Amino acid sequence: MSWLPCGVYHENYKQDHRWWQTKFVWGKMIFLFLFVYVLFPRFAGLYWIGVANIIGYTVLSALGVQLLIGYCGQITLGHAAFIAVGAYVCALSILMFHLPYVVSMIIAAFIAGLWSVLFGLPSAKVKGFYLIMTTMAAQFITVDFILTQYVSRIGGRGVAFSLPPGTIKIGPWVIDNDVEIYYLMVILVTLCTLALANLLRSRVGRAWIAIRDNDIAAEALGVNIVKYKLLAFFVAGVFGGVAGAFWVCNLAALSPEHFMWSWSLWLVGVILIGGVGSIHGVFFGSMFMVLVLEALKFAIAPLAPTFPQLQMKFLFLKEAAFGLAICLFLLYEPNGMAYRWWQIKNYFNLWPFSY
Amino acid sequence: MELFITTLVTGVMVGSIYALVALGWCLIYKCSGVLNLAMGELTLIGAYVCLSFYNWGVPFILALIFTMIIGIILGFLTERIFLRKLIGEPILTVIMVTVGLSFFFRGIVEFIWGTDTRVFSPPVFPLKPIVVGPVVIGQVYLWSFVAAIILLVAFVSFFKYTRWGLSMQACADDEMAALSLGVSAKFVYAMAWAIAFMAAGVGGTLLGNINGLNISVGYLGLLVLPAVVLGGLNSVPGAIVGGIIIGVLQNLSGAYLDQYFPGGVKEIAPFAFMVIILLFLPYGLWGWERIERV
Amino acid sequence: MKRILLAIGVIAVAFLFAGTLWGAEVIKVGAINDMTGGTCDVGKDYALGIAEAIAYVNDMGGVNGKKIKLLQFDYGYRIPEAVTIYKRLRDYDKVIAVLGWGTGDTEALSPTITKDKMPYVSASYSAHLTDPKKTPYNFFFSADYSTNARGCITAWYEEIWLKDPKFKARRERGEKPRFVCFYSWPTPYSSAPIKAIKDQAKLLGFEIGPDQDVSLTALDTKSQVLAAKKFKPDLVWHGNTTMSVATALKDSYALGLGAWHIINNWGFDKNLVKLAGPAAENAIGAVPCAFFGEEGPRLMPKIVEYAKKLNPGIPEENRLIRTVQAWGAVLLLWEGMKRADKAGKLTGEGIREAIETLRDFDLGIGAPPITFTPTDHRPTSIAQAYIIKGGKFKFLKRIDFKKRWPDRWPKWLGW
Repeated sequence: MSWLPCGVYHENYKQDHRWWQTKFVWGKMIFLFLFVYVLFPRFAGLYWIGVANIIGYTVLSALGVQLLIGYCGQITLGHAAFIAVGAYVCALSILMFHLPYVVSMIIAAFIAGLWSVLFGLPSAKVKGFYLIMTTMAAQFITVDFILTQYVSRIGGRGVAFSLPPGTIKIGPWVIDNDVEIYYLMVILVTLCTLALANLLRSRVGRAWIAIRDNDIAAEALGVNIVKYKLLAFFVAGVFGGVAGAFWVCNLAALSPEHFMWSWSLWLVGVILIGGVGSIHGVFFGSMFMVLVLEALKFAIAPLAPTFPQLQMKFLFLKEAAFGLAICLFLLYEPNGMAYRWWQIKNYFNLWPFSY
Repeated sequence: MELFITTLVTGVMVGSIYALVALGWCLIYKCSGVLNLAMGELTLIGAYVCLSFYNWGVPFILALIFTMIIGIILGFLTERIFLRKLIGEPILTVIMVTVGLSFFFRGIVEFIWGTDTRVFSPPVFPLKPIVVGPVVIGQVYLWSFVAAIILLVAFVSFFKYTRWGLSMQACADDEMAALSLGVSAKFVYAMAWAIAFMAAGVGGTLLGNINGLNISVGYLGLLVLPAVVLGGLNSVPGAIVGGIIIGVLQNLSGAYLDQYFPGGVKEIAPFAFMVIILLFLPYGLWGWERIERV
Repeated sequence: MKRILLAIGVIAVAFLFAGTLWGAEVIKVGAINDMTGGTCDVGKDYALGIAEAIAYVNDMGGVNGKKIKLLQFDYGYRIPEAVTIYKRLRDYDKVIAVLGWGTGDTEALSPTITKDKMPYVSASYSAHLTDPKKTPYNFFFSADYSTNARGCITAWYEEIWLKDPKFKARRERGEKPRFVCFYSWPTPYSSAPIKAIKDQAKLLGFEIGPDQDVSLTALDTKSQVLAAKKFKPDLVWHGNTTMSVATALKDSYALGLGAWHIINNWGFDKNLVKLAGPAAENAIGAVPCAFFGEEGPRLMPKIVEYAKKLNPGIPEENRLIRTVQAWGAVLLLWEGMKRADKAGKLTGEGIREAIETLRDFDLGIGAPPITFTPTDHRPTSIAQAYIIKGGKFKFLKRIDFKKRWPDRWPKWLGW
């Protein structure tokens, strides 16, 4: 709920449903558009563009998780498996079948969605913790077993899913440096966010929210929960497939270690820190996680010559710090950063009055 | 045939260790409703602490007792610092805090002890195997089995015959009623975590004795999740039986199925099996069926 | 108060930038090491060795007067981190060469480094990196995995099978020795030499049994050993690093497998004896250069001296042959850079051409002399095998494959 300023009246439902309801919001959005599409890639250094790419990848991956957990109430700890399926299908289509990148991405998204539905089938029968276990099993079976043992060995040794620069092209444009990846990322993130937001505004989204709140009551009201749960898994899988296909152009070589269980847990952490049940939460969570890691790296780098142990054990510190960050955030800020953002926004909406 | 019996026996013995860790997990769930995904890391901590004591020259039994004491202290601390505030929060938040704890513990363990494989040297159990007919059993397995059974019996009698155990049972059965009768919920939660740390620590030590200790023992600790799901979340005997079944299943699938697949069956067989069971028995073998009312 | 904070902030930022202002004529070299991952048991020592070797090179004048700045990173044996670190080294730090580590990431990155023309001296001695037609920018100093593997199995065949009286009766009956491979199937490093070793086994007349999958961090290999026992092998090849080989040796001993063991070079060092105890007796392994502290090689006193100087906290008996292997990689790169600089072309392509001029070059670390040509990047055709007797390493056999099988040697390039 946010308040509208004085003088803004809606005369029909169409106006009321609009995304951006006042001229002020239009202005903010145009500024954001300019910043993201024009200013940032021109003036930020190559390193920060790389960081932005990672944030974009996290956002794409977390959108699917937010859909499942925040909007549909199905707790999933296996999303990295679907991202992996997307990445591998895309890479295989490019390397083995020589399909263009865009077509590969669409195929990858579709197959990832289908795979997600396969492992979402138990959701028709099980709930809560048991669903968590089945999604965990999906993660281990897909990545640790099928991908590691079977798919990685396609083509034998020496093919090793290497994607040297120049393999990925959209039409005549080769995507091989960070700035081009950045543009691809912003376009994908915009499209996916719009898609998700519009789905949530529609009948499908309302059904999901009903299932999240109380699925037995939803069924009593006539919502077909099996259909909508499976649809949620499918759409989440599609987003995961897009994320995986996007990630492929950032890599020089693809291997299953990118998509381990820790990545699934990381994504759920992103959602929780950002705020469950809001799209803003996905962005805040992604930015927070990636930037905190960068800050850690910068904090440790100058200390490295004096404490060489720190540099060596940096990966461990990263893990420990990440774990502690999640715990502390969940203990003291259980509604996530989106809630704080909403509070700050409303404060300014009402300023200088206090209520 | 010899292969079958050997793997079966080894599986039962390894399964008893899993049963011990599963007992701890089930306890936490029954008493406080927390689904603890950090069980693997609890096994790690206990195992490394015991290794450190042992490397300082403390005899093994004493090292084990010290590990249990440290486990109790760590359990109390964890419950007080991290989980006290989460009473009443939605289930996902609690799970994620345990996940955060697992990352934290794993980072700390790797930081302090490094990622090399360490061995208990001199070896605690003799290396020569015991030969019973056609079956060759390593002594480590036998002694681990004995230790696990002793501890299981100790825990079960603790629950049945001591006041603390009875109060934990009461809290697990019906928290409101127990609270109104004067049972301190905080105390019960703390005891549950302490016992879980102890059980996991001993389990980790026994697992580490088999061939050496490194971070992958933590993933073995993760296997208790299929074990408790199989046995039913709310049932302590179910957890024990589930642990043994998982141990047997793992070994049998490793021995027989590895040739049909290009490797790696041993790690995922418990999870695959669990998914199949869940499709037919959504609450495991002995779990309580949840009846939801709208 | 705010001004003080601002001043502190400015000074801190100035310090951060000060480091980059210093150092005029510096050559940057990147190193990607595994200090915490699946192969960290051998990776940690190697990483320390690289740092010490670079310090030695700088003390010796660097590359014709220019000092080398080493940027060393840990990637935890995870290919994604290796890829990220490589991109950072290439784009942000702009290094001129990379000292790599694992087979998986080296092979996966090799099309990229070929396009980038970045010389990559790896700790992976995989034979798939030796064909200049496919991987022209990959180098290493030791005999490759396949040659070493062939060396081990040939050494066992000739020294044990043909000479040991225990096998006499079976030899006279015309029986073939039985062979099984224990390695990690999905790991590129472990599976690199398998095709070659099986080819050599067929060449020598072995019977080959089913492979067993043993993970790099395996703590329990009982089911694999039991499955292998059904085949009754005489010889087992171990393709993993020390941690997992120790587990397999102990389990074989405990379950009474009754076979001899040949081990790849990354699984064969002092730690193996420490971890496996009596189960490591009579194990045979490939050894690429001299052991740490061994008398004889020209540079060994320097290696020991720099190890003590830069890492005094680690006792000498805990340093392994991996340090010497690291020196080998750095010395190879140094020689290449020196020659390229003298020819006036200190670029990626220049370094590559310079390395390809090396003929019978002795690195001074007890390794066979190395030769690189534009058509063959296999540094040497000589494999050495040692055997563990009483907890100590004893020399077993040295085989020169080019001399023994001159018609087959060229055909073995690249696998």
